[in-house]
Amino acid sequence: MSRLPAVQGELIDRSAPVEFTFEGNRFRGYRGDTITSALIGSGVRILGRSFKYHRVRGVLSAGGHDVNAMMQVHCAGRSIPNMRADIVQVEEGWDIAAVNTRGGLVRDRLAFLNRLAPFLPVGFYYKAFHSRRWFPRWERMFRSLTGLGEVDLTASALSTPKRYDFCDVLVVGGGPSGLAAALAAANEGAAVLLVDENIALGGSGLYARGGVAGLADRTVGLIAEVRGHPRIRVLTNTFAAGYYADHWVAAVAPECLVKIRARSVIVAQGAYEQPAVFRGNDLPGVMLASAAQRLIYRYAVCDGRRVAVLTANVQGYAAALDAMAHGIEVAAVLDLRPHPGVVSQPLADKVAGQGIPIHFGVRPIEAIATRSGELGELEFESTAGGASRRVEVEGVWMSVGFAPASALLHQANARMRYERAVEQFVPFALPAGIHACGKVNGVYSFEARLADGRHAGQRSAAALGFSGEGAHRRDLESECPTHPYPIFPHPGGKEFVDFDEDVQIKDLVNACQEGFDSSELLKRFSTVGMGPSQGKHSNMNSLRILAEVRGESIDTLGTTTARPMFHPVPLAHLAGRRFSPERRTALDATHARLGAVWMSAGNWRRPEYYEVAGKSRDNTIADEVRAVRSGVGIIDVGTLGKVEIRGPDAAEFLERIYTARFAKLGVGMTRYGILLDETGIVVDDGVIARLGPECFYFTTTTGNSTTLFREFGRLASWWGLRVGLVNLTGHYAAFNLAGPLARAVLRPHTDIDLAEQAFPYLAVRQGMIADAPCRMMRVGFVGELGYEIHLPASQAADVWRALLAHDSRIRVAPFGVEAQRMLRLEKGHIIVGQDTDGVTNALELNMAWALKMDKPFFVGQRSLRILEKMPRRQTLIGFTLPPSPAGQSARRPKECHLVLDGDQIAGRVTSVGWSPTLERCIGLALVTPRVASGTHLCIRTDGGANITAAVAQTPFYDPRSERQRQPDPT
Amino acid sequence: MMRSPFESALTVKGPADGVAEGAAALQLADLSRRSRFGCKGPGAGEWLATAGFPVPHAPNSAVVDAGGIFVARLATSEFLVEALEDRGAARVQSQWQLLSSSSCPSEVYPVVRQDGVVGVRGTGLQTLLRQICSVDFVPLLTAGGSDSGPIVLASMVGVGVVAWPSIDRSGSTLTLWLDPSFAHYFWVTLLEVGRGVGITVIGSDT
Repeated sequence: MSRLPAVQGELIDRSAPVEFTFEGNRFRGYRGDTITSALIGSGVRILGRSFKYHRVRGVLSAGGHDVNAMMQVHCAGRSIPNMRADIVQVEEGWDIAAVNTRGGLVRDRLAFLNRLAPFLPVGFYYKAFHSRRWFPRWERMFRSLTGLGEVDLTASALSTPKRYDFCDVLVVGGGPSGLAAALAAANEGAAVLLVDENIALGGSGLYARGGVAGLADRTVGLIAEVRGHPRIRVLTNTFAAGYYADHWVAAVAPECLVKIRARSVIVAQGAYEQPAVFRGNDLPGVMLASAAQRLIYRYAVCDGRRVAVLTANVQGYAAALDAMAHGIEVAAVLDLRPHPGVVSQPLADKVAGQGIPIHFGVRPIEAIATRSGELGELEFESTAGGASRRVEVEGVWMSVGFAPASALLHQANARMRYERAVEQFVPFALPAGIHACGKVNGVYSFEARLADGRHAGQRSAAALGFSGEGAHRRDLESECPTHPYPIFPHPGGKEFVDFDEDVQIKDLVNACQEGFDSSELLKRFSTVGMGPSQGKHSNMNSLRILAEVRGESIDTLGTTTARPMFHPVPLAHLAGRRFSPERRTALDATHARLGAVWMSAGNWRRPEYYEVAGKSRDNTIADEVRAVRSGVGIIDVGTLGKVEIRGPDAAEFLERIYTARFAKLGVGMTRYGILLDETGIVVDDGVIARLGPECFYFTTTTGNSTTLFREFGRLASWWGLRVGLVNLTGHYAAFNLAGPLARAVLRPHTDIDLAEQAFPYLAVRQGMIADAPCRMMRVGFVGELGYEIHLPASQAADVWRALLAHDSRIRVAPFGVEAQRMLRLEKGHIIVGQDTDGVTNALELNMAWALKMDKPFFVGQRSLRILEKMPRRQTLIGFTLPPSPAGQSARRPKECHLVLDGDQIAGRVTSVGWSPTLERCIGLALVTPRVASGTHLCIRTDGGANITAAVAQTPFYDPRSERQRQPDPT
Repeated sequence: MMRSPFESALTVKGPADGVAEGAAALQLADLSRRSRFGCKGPGAGEWLATAGFPVPHAPNSAVVDAGGIFVARLATSEFLVEALEDRGAARVQSQWQLLSSSSCPSEVYPVVRQDGVVGVRGTGLQTLLRQICSVDFVPLLTAGGSDSGPIVLASMVGVGVVAWPSIDRSGSTLTLWLDPSFAHYFWVTLLEVGRGVGITVIGSDT
């Protein structure tokens, strides 16, 4: 067992044992243990296998970034992949297994890949896929071998809520500098939100103790002060994963994504300790010194009872003292520097005073494994020459430097420069409202971090108008905490720069030699920094190697882009609760009672058709069509965009946005209008009714209503016209009563004179219908006598019901969208967005009658003038197939089937269907002018069979449009 | 009687339905049947003032007069008028009739308002709002009054709303106006999100 006696401040509850299984064996930990600490405490050192070579791996950081210790956890009937063992707290009964093994962690059958390393050079994937012949084989093999955890496809979706939060000052990071910053800002009056990714606040203030409790005690005092402050709220176990414009920060909490809107952000995220790069630096037992300290002070465990400390800073000596304070034998301290700095000297003296040998000016050669694959010895040599030496150890603690956790600063567009005094990037120009403090600022000693935090807190509060000092002060370390080049190539390789992707020194050197010698190219070709930890332990060292190869400074190379999210985020968090706003018309409940089968139209739900027991969908739709043609039908068209425009310039506005003329449109009349964009492309159409000299009411298509209303407002404002626009889309209902008997059904319910002379085709009238005020338009979209009735939404259901209950001798048949589509197709009426696409201009639709090119201006007119002089690219035509019975046929064309001209694609079918009226298939197609000028066209149907259709004039039905102008028989 | 756009959604039960009103952390009410109208145009403000309605001075603010008439200025020249209490309903309706008639000034445009209107209040209000909206209502719900204050045009659960935070003796209330075609979705979604908070429907027009 590697569990230590009780440690002050430990996070485990020794009175609450937790039992679990790992790789089939039972283990015991305590409540509060992570998976890693529980296993280490049970004497398990091998926690996982590496991604590429399947090498055994143990602890590296114990700080949330150990991607070689990711687990598949089976618990409560669920199987959760890729749980990070170093931060996930183990629970009773969990069944845990390492990911990325074949046959278990110890007997992984893919371990042989380690011996194939010489045959898997850098860029292997790219090179493999160069061969078309071998592509499928490689793909199958890679898919089989790679991947981490397994997704449980049977798991039900989590309804993880998103949450918003707000504050004056957001402090990211709860270490000493973050705590000081939060207190300083709050003391000036700011409302502070402090976010920390760890279970507990305190950061390195609690675990980097140097063998004494003084600093930890002060950190505990700061935490108590923060917890008790009335203006500070704390979110622990929550990491800030991304910064977005205007101080939006995405924070990932255990159960949800928190979107934090702050007025100011202080980044106090600290720094990631970096590994030294030497042969065997990935053996279980070789870890960062901070990892060992975390394990000791948070969980009271140690991984190895005899260790060597490889260092280049004061933190390494502090770690050695921490080891000794807990009975861990320090075999040697190996200092890469020729002599300690002024800050290190007192601690080095303390270490030496306890009889620990310290070797200055050395470099590691190799960590040597025992037969079981764990660490056994460390070989090193003096930089001054001489024979190498070995020291028997169970652990090597690396403390050779840090890389700032500056991803949020990069995302906030902070300007960073490489500071040689601390051998790291530090911010030198911060955007307004962004502040940095602590290690990310190049400040490492405890007192300096507190001071830096206080200054940041005061600056942020002062900038927000609270009291406080606005001056900027920063005191960089007097002793460099980071070695400039802790990288030690070995002829045998296996010196790992990136533990996620098994990238070695030679991989990066070779990539540079192959021409991938910029930071971004090197990353992509070698995959360094592309694993789950996103280069937290590899980016700086790979940059150092790149700089060495190119003979340039790190500052001139720059860093790779730090995109959000920079920590692994569960997909369930990103999905969150699904808000999918759905619109329903005022008649929705009425349709449901009538047996509507629903379909989506934009964000509306509409009846596709009304189900009839024992009748197929196609037959039901055909009957709805027949009912309209022979009697009377009613359809809800409330999804249409409905806009009212008033004011002295209302007609002028419509003249400009539509292709038709409206200035002289008579009051009480309607007109069809096409709406173009600046390039002449058709974007919408609708009916415009003139209700008064300065008042028009018009419709847009369902899907475009919101976008167009916004655009109308923009144009009206831009043109400076005296108009007022009112969006009535949701506030008004609309339905279309159509068919030869429409007038007879309507007459008893309205005070509007329906006589042909009083209310002719294309007229609009206002009046009452079944006690509701309404606007009624005589339009003929479906090609029959029709009245489109618009009225306040709250009264629609009563009016609809009144019309359907009109007279038992006349059945008013509700019909759905599919029947309407066929009815309008029989009339050859287009649907914008179906019979047009994003490149269809108005000239291609054979609707020149709707284009008033002699008007002074309309949107798209200038483009049409140019297009008029150019050859047509395509044109819309009608086509028919020979008469056939109803029902599906494999040889029947469908929408989007291709039209062929020889072996060339010459267009596509835009609308097609079997017409119950004509008893044959009819359709529209956008085709080349050459095909349009012929008599037949060839359509490639499902399965590759070609069929021939006859080019036909539209309308297919009632070509003289006599039915919609039907005079009043009475 | 005017139909509420929430009519179909009112059959959906909230998790705390049946719980005593005071015991639920959130109370939801359908206020859609209140009398209201809208008007806009360059002469709208003056027309309202002449008719004796209170007119907020700034856009995005609202006032309530002693007769329980609420007037919100949604933009420079756009207004929403609503009777918060029955005693103001007749006055609002008659003004709408006037506005819809030919005698209305040409610079005042009537706006049909068939909004879905929801009132939400309770101790869980902030918890709910933080799951459905990116606007921080804390300052508005703690500093506002019952007779004047700001209104907010915001998006909640993906739906555009006009929000009026107000405070009276019973606490903070947020009143929301939305397009009636979103009413069913909005109501059901509020109940679903409020499930974890403890939400109950306390009826309509209260």
